[in-house]
Amino acid sequence: MKTVVYSSPFVPAEWIAAHGVRPRRIRPDPAAASPSPYGPVLGAGPIMGVCPYARAFMGEVLSAPAAGAAVFTTTCDQMRRAAEWAGRACHPGTATSRAVAGGAAPWHGPPKAGRLASRGGGPPVFLMNVPATWQTPAAARLYRDELRRLGRFLVHLGGTAPSRDRLAETLEAYDARRAALRGALGTLSARQASEAIARFDLGSEKVSGTLRLKVPDTFSDAAPDLPRGTPVALVGGPLMRGDSRIFDVLEKAGGVVVLDGTESGARTLPAPVDRRRLRDDPLMELVDAYFGTIPDAFRRPDALLYQWLGRELAASAARGIIVWRYVWCDMWAAAAARLRETTGLPVLDLDVSGDPARQPSRLGRAVPGGGAGASPAGLARSAGRIQAFMEVLK
Amino acid sequence: MSGSPKRLTMEELDRLCHRRQAAGVPMAAYAGPLARHVADGDRRLLKLLYDDSAAALRLWNFLLTEEDRLHEARAAGRKIVGTMKDLGTVPVMAYALPNLVAFYPDGAWWTPCVMELSEGLFGIAQSLGLGDAMCPVRAMAGAFINRAHFPLPDLLTCSVGATCDDFSAIAQRLESLGYPILWWEMPSRRQPDPDEPAATLPGGFRAPESQVALVRSELDRVRAALSELAGSPLADEALAAGIREANRVRGILGRLRRLAYTADPCPMPALEMLIAEMLAIHFCSDRAESVAVLTELLDEVRRRADEHVGVLPAGAARLFWVNPVADLRVMNLLEDCGARLCGTEYLFCHALDAIPQDLPPMEALARMALADPMVGPSADRAARVVRDARAFGAEGVVVSRIPGASHCALEGAVIGGIVRDELGLPVVELEVPPVADPLWPTLKTRLEALVETVLDRRTR
Repeated sequence: MKTVVYSSPFVPAEWIAAHGVRPRRIRPDPAAASPSPYGPVLGAGPIMGVCPYARAFMGEVLSAPAAGAAVFTTTCDQMRRAAEWAGRACHPGTATSRAVAGGAAPWHGPPKAGRLASRGGGPPVFLMNVPATWQTPAAARLYRDELRRLGRFLVHLGGTAPSRDRLAETLEAYDARRAALRGALGTLSARQASEAIARFDLGSEKVSGTLRLKVPDTFSDAAPDLPRGTPVALVGGPLMRGDSRIFDVLEKAGGVVVLDGTESGARTLPAPVDRRRLRDDPLMELVDAYFGTIPDAFRRPDALLYQWLGRELAASAARGIIVWRYVWCDMWAAAAARLRETTGLPVLDLDVSGDPARQPSRLGRAVPGGGAGASPAGLARSAGRIQAFMEVLK
Repeated sequence: MSGSPKRLTMEELDRLCHRRQAAGVPMAAYAGPLARHVADGDRRLLKLLYDDSAAALRLWNFLLTEEDRLHEARAAGRKIVGTMKDLGTVPVMAYALPNLVAFYPDGAWWTPCVMELSEGLFGIAQSLGLGDAMCPVRAMAGAFINRAHFPLPDLLTCSVGATCDDFSAIAQRLESLGYPILWWEMPSRRQPDPDEPAATLPGGFRAPESQVALVRSELDRVRAALSELAGSPLADEALAAGIREANRVRGILGRLRRLAYTADPCPMPALEMLIAEMLAIHFCSDRAESVAVLTELLDEVRRRADEHVGVLPAGAARLFWVNPVADLRVMNLLEDCGARLCGTEYLFCHALDAIPQDLPPMEALARMALADPMVGPSADRAARVVRDARAFGAEGVVVSRIPGASHCALEGAVIGGIVRDELGLPVVELEVPPVADPLWPTLKTRLEALVETVLDRRTR
């Protein structure tokens, strides 16, 4: 069975699975974008100003030739462009319509692609257009049509177009698994919950060395003694592999995450499906569950996100908010100030730069805010800011 | 203002302007010395070099008096539409209704440059959480807050989807501050799948018909909003007439570009050509006058080309420029380094291409909107650069990065790679902040190196 790797919560795992392809939503490894062995591609000019997460996901795709395919989405500009870069790096010299489903004209490999360009052979890349607007029927139709296009891509990969019944059954199965996951989350610490979601997203706890998809198995199914501390919400973009250490850093500083509103947390779980409507039109049910409900900063307007935050912050009794965002992530950068205004809570804007040593600013000066997070060294540097924030909240 | 053309300082240009006024030479009502704008804070004007023609003086005055025109339009009872991000589509629709006037609040991105950061727009943006990791277009948010640079629009539209994240985030921040926005979706343009019905777009890109249909339906929502604002329906006939008028502007500009970018010696400086190209996106708030301004400029360029005179020595290195510069003065620097402009792609080539007149107007506009170079792959943009650079005979390419802009992180490398592969031309990437003075030596060195490379290649 082929495997499709992706990172966006707007790519429905059940749609891929229903086609007989294994879905794996990954948390990319920041080290995947390291200079070796693919430095000629990722270590050249484009490193300037490139989002560390987009770069890591690109690196993960480029270093996973055994994957059947990679799916990028248009939910952010950098990932949209990263899809083009990765597609061309994986398939130099081929028409982009083949290298990147949803791409451009023929091209002969990335500049200075060196070993990688001559190597080729990476997975095919699919760029899924997730509309930013969501309040019109046209936007929902576009999302549905993109799922259909993804379906044709999966069939081209060797998958099988699902019957309505098969799709409905797959949706039901995922819905049941997701309900169990939701039920378990309340019994886990924030780190455990985050890792449980990560393992759910991978589809299994088995490890594929080839794909480098291992998530640390550091917890039992339930933790009887949950950590205590000043309650805070962690809100923002996605986590990379290893970033769940941030929960430990917070606990050491006297805090506890009572709401994980990162892209990797429960915020982006799709809504439960409506079993009555499921049999009539499972595809539209899938559209409703994902496109109709997942709140995110890229959506226009972004009202769903603030409705969700208003509800969940109140329920969680968080006393402060930590915004987890990557440098050059405009969506979450703009959200930080607004969160202060709309919630009235103290906000720590934690800009995550991956490995600062390899992530210079576009202007050649210090990364705004000083940079933090992602790599172990970066997380250590964040600790001071988090500690100060916790003291303020006490 | 005749004889051998040259570049002048602002003071020299203003002296010529005073002489023309004293001699009773007919001038546009808005014309006058540029010093009055310096008095209003536009200090960068003091450091620029200008073409010495009456046509260029009119162009500058037309540009610098846009705010006055918008206020006059409001005073006259016309409604103001703030069209954001699409760069060339919605204004064609708005100007098809007689009581609407459209402008781009995005244009405020040049205000920090023109006022040399004295206006405080970035500070306001920073206070809203829009810091210097974002594109200079964040100045727009400051301009909405301090209300010192344009009247608040009666309607705001913004294209989102396959656009830059900076703009989407800034516009969303504006909406959160109480400025309602009509968002319309711009899908990520892709190659049609085999056997998928496809349409050819102005400029030559192709896209699936389904994407064109989506954009058409989104523009229908814009059309309904414009009609409601105007108090009268925007009929197909009026739209078709609006498209014809827009094409008139584009046609003049097309002739101007061809001549200005190919004649040797260079008949019109890069800075004036940048301003002229900008008129295509929203006519600087007066469509009829933009036709007159461009026509006079074209006439001047024709005269110079016929007489084989120019503002630069013959044989200057012929450079193609990609992306608009945040600091206008860099266009002067290009020429100071011994180069001349020989083609451009300022992110709005779709506003330069003729809109199809043999299609239903909404279909034509949808195709034009989808031809936006920002909404497709960088390789599409690169293909356009390659085509135009070849047509204009460019000898080198400058990719000018916009600080903080989400699209600039990867596209420059893609464009540069394709240009090198396809044309074998040298490519230089620069990053130009709104006031580039501290980086002047670096920018100069890089441009000079490119010029030297170009000239050296001629001798091989």
